[in-house]
Amino acid sequence: MKKWASLSIVSMLLLSACGGNAPTAATDSGKKDSGGTEPKQTAQTTQAASGEKKKLSFWYIETGQRKELIEATVQKFMQQNPDVEVEAVQIPNDAYKTKLSVAMGGGSPPDVFHSWGGGWLKQFVSANQVLDLTGKVNSESYVPAAIGAATFNSKIYGAPLAMSVVPMFYNKEIFAKYQLQPPKTYDELLTIIDKLKKENIIPIAMANKTKWPAAFYLMYFAEKLAGPQIFSEAFERTGRTFDDPAYVKAGEMIQDLVKRGAFNPGFNGLTYDTGQSRQLLYTGKAAMEMQTASYVNNVRNEAPDFEKKLGMFPFPEVSGGKGNISNVVGGVSPVFSVAAKSKYPDKAIELIKMLTSQELAQQFSDKTSAISAVKGVEYKDPFAIQLNEMLSKAGYLQTFYDQTLPPDLAELHKDTTQALFGETMTPAEAAKQMEAKAKEILKK
Amino acid sequence: MSSLAEKSTAQVELQKAASSRKPRHTAFIIGFIGPALLIYLTYVIFPIFSTLYYSMFHWSGIESSKTFILFDNYIKLMTDSIFWKTVLNNLLLVVASIFTQLPLGLAMALLLMAPIKGIRLFRTVYFMPLLMSTVALGILWTFIYDPTMGIINQAFDLLGLRSWQMGWLGDSKTAFLAVIVTICWQFTPFYMILFRAAIAGIPDEIYESAKIDGASGWKQFWRITLPLLKPTIVTSSVLSVIGSLKYFDLIYVMTEGGPDSSTELMATYMYKQAFAKFNMGYASTISFTMFVISLIVAIFILTADKNRAQAS
Repeated sequence: MKKWASLSIVSMLLLSACGGNAPTAATDSGKKDSGGTEPKQTAQTTQAASGEKKKLSFWYIETGQRKELIEATVQKFMQQNPDVEVEAVQIPNDAYKTKLSVAMGGGSPPDVFHSWGGGWLKQFVSANQVLDLTGKVNSESYVPAAIGAATFNSKIYGAPLAMSVVPMFYNKEIFAKYQLQPPKTYDELLTIIDKLKKENIIPIAMANKTKWPAAFYLMYFAEKLAGPQIFSEAFERTGRTFDDPAYVKAGEMIQDLVKRGAFNPGFNGLTYDTGQSRQLLYTGKAAMEMQTASYVNNVRNEAPDFEKKLGMFPFPEVSGGKGNISNVVGGVSPVFSVAAKSKYPDKAIELIKMLTSQELAQQFSDKTSAISAVKGVEYKDPFAIQLNEMLSKAGYLQTFYDQTLPPDLAELHKDTTQALFGETMTPAEAAKQMEAKAKEILKK
Repeated sequence: MSSLAEKSTAQVELQKAASSRKPRHTAFIIGFIGPALLIYLTYVIFPIFSTLYYSMFHWSGIESSKTFILFDNYIKLMTDSIFWKTVLNNLLLVVASIFTQLPLGLAMALLLMAPIKGIRLFRTVYFMPLLMSTVALGILWTFIYDPTMGIINQAFDLLGLRSWQMGWLGDSKTAFLAVIVTICWQFTPFYMILFRAAIAGIPDEIYESAKIDGASGWKQFWRITLPLLKPTIVTSSVLSVIGSLKYFDLIYVMTEGGPDSSTELMATYMYKQAFAKFNMGYASTISFTMFVISLIVAIFILTADKNRAQAS
């Protein structure tokens, strides 16, 4: 989610962003280059002082208060392990994916690195670049869906710290007024949509200029129709593909929703970050909106009075579909993994344990309202409690496509989905384009 | 023969005189132009050629390794349907800019010169859009165009014209039109200023003698103002055309090129290729093609103007 937030800032301050992107890339690559020379220097100086220090490099993307918490944890780790020096590098989210791919490909990966789990991490696992952590971290201490995003062939390759999930938020007052209940099945949701439409209320608000808010629907439809494995099979090229009938059907269901008038008019031109969809809910003009857990945070900032009207429910099951209602679209971030090439794997694992400790997870949820991926965190916030419940019950966590796919394909996924919603592309054409690009990029 | 020889000796002398003056002059010229030239070479000329260089590689922009592919990117570009759509959009923007911004700017300038009471207030009002930051302006207009809350659709609602209500920025049929309106709104004041300065520069004597000859009102405008404004109109057209060809900011703020690339321009497409899809080589190809197109158009307009000036 932060990726999108930062994207919006980029769009706001484009020039400064262009100027800002290049220097970070430059300094980052500078750091990477100096990775070869710097250790020599420090080795020499520290050898003279207190024997050789074990040097760990650590890449992460957290910003703001989360960054401070991580930095403090790294400091604490260095105090407890005086023989280890951790070089923690914070990398802007947008550049991170490519940068890590390059470092892995070039054979100089960081010892400890960030990921979102899922298919993206698995690519590196398949390339034998990631250390098997099975038995080295306590899998019992993590929320199953979170550790599941970093588990492949029943082996654990990463430890998660925090999570995000996408429920449908709704206005409880409107639902009560028209005697509506949160739906269990998709047909019930359609009934609600039709009823609200008749009452002249916009059923679902959406602001889709940045293309990611609408992508939730495609992800949910595909998962509810064809079961949780559809995406990983298409991504890993091990079975069904992006032009699978389920993806075409998902596109059809999207266009059916649009034709029904489920959304506010002109949603493809509205900006989520400036609140153009949220104000529809705040003013009672719209009844629902599908968004990530950070929605609560927005409500608190923008319309504190609205919080008591705010409710949420998980995306309903599609009858005849293979996906369970408990399966959610969401994300695990951050997941920390150790590179297979790390010189000091034991120390790296210790660092990971500290970075995913219950203590840090508690601080994350208290200070930054994150959902913890670590068990045993006490939630004081009613929404966090409910979101956490939704997550802890989840049988499968579908990670965000655009964070999982390589950038070129991720962009196409968002472009085609927006076009589906705008009814300027047929579901079959969208699926065909995705599959063609996937064949070209995933090359398997 | 002799006269020819005289001529040639005269020329030689002239050249001598010129060359004797030369050293002092070149020092002078270098002294004045040098610093600016250096900056121009480093930040304008050099990047153009480095763009050409990068456009021949398959390169993500972050990796250190590049693959040399010569003109493959250009071949890909020629078959890229989205790119051609962006070229078409850019041309539409050029046409819209020239045929709305310039006439409107001229009309507003004439209005400001007219002896109307209270016109001074409008001098400020007309100028305001140009003073606003593009990002703020873009966000402001996204709220104006908001289909549910926006002032336009609300006004249609009040007037009972519900069927006129549109999704504006969210509808691929209306989005580009909506953005063009905003762009014109932003830039018309700029041309107004140019025209106002040019009109103020026309000597009053001409108008006075025209009056004596019996020409008034529209006749004065067609026979005096407009012909004397021609150089300004040509300059404005060049500025408008080049500006439209490399336009970026309002589109990025208001639609990000969407929906379904209906408002995508060459510059926004280039940005996406470079920073969202990490195809820096391909983005350089788009960028260089943009440069070539702008160059051709600029040369075309300038030679056309030169021919016109020579003919008259």
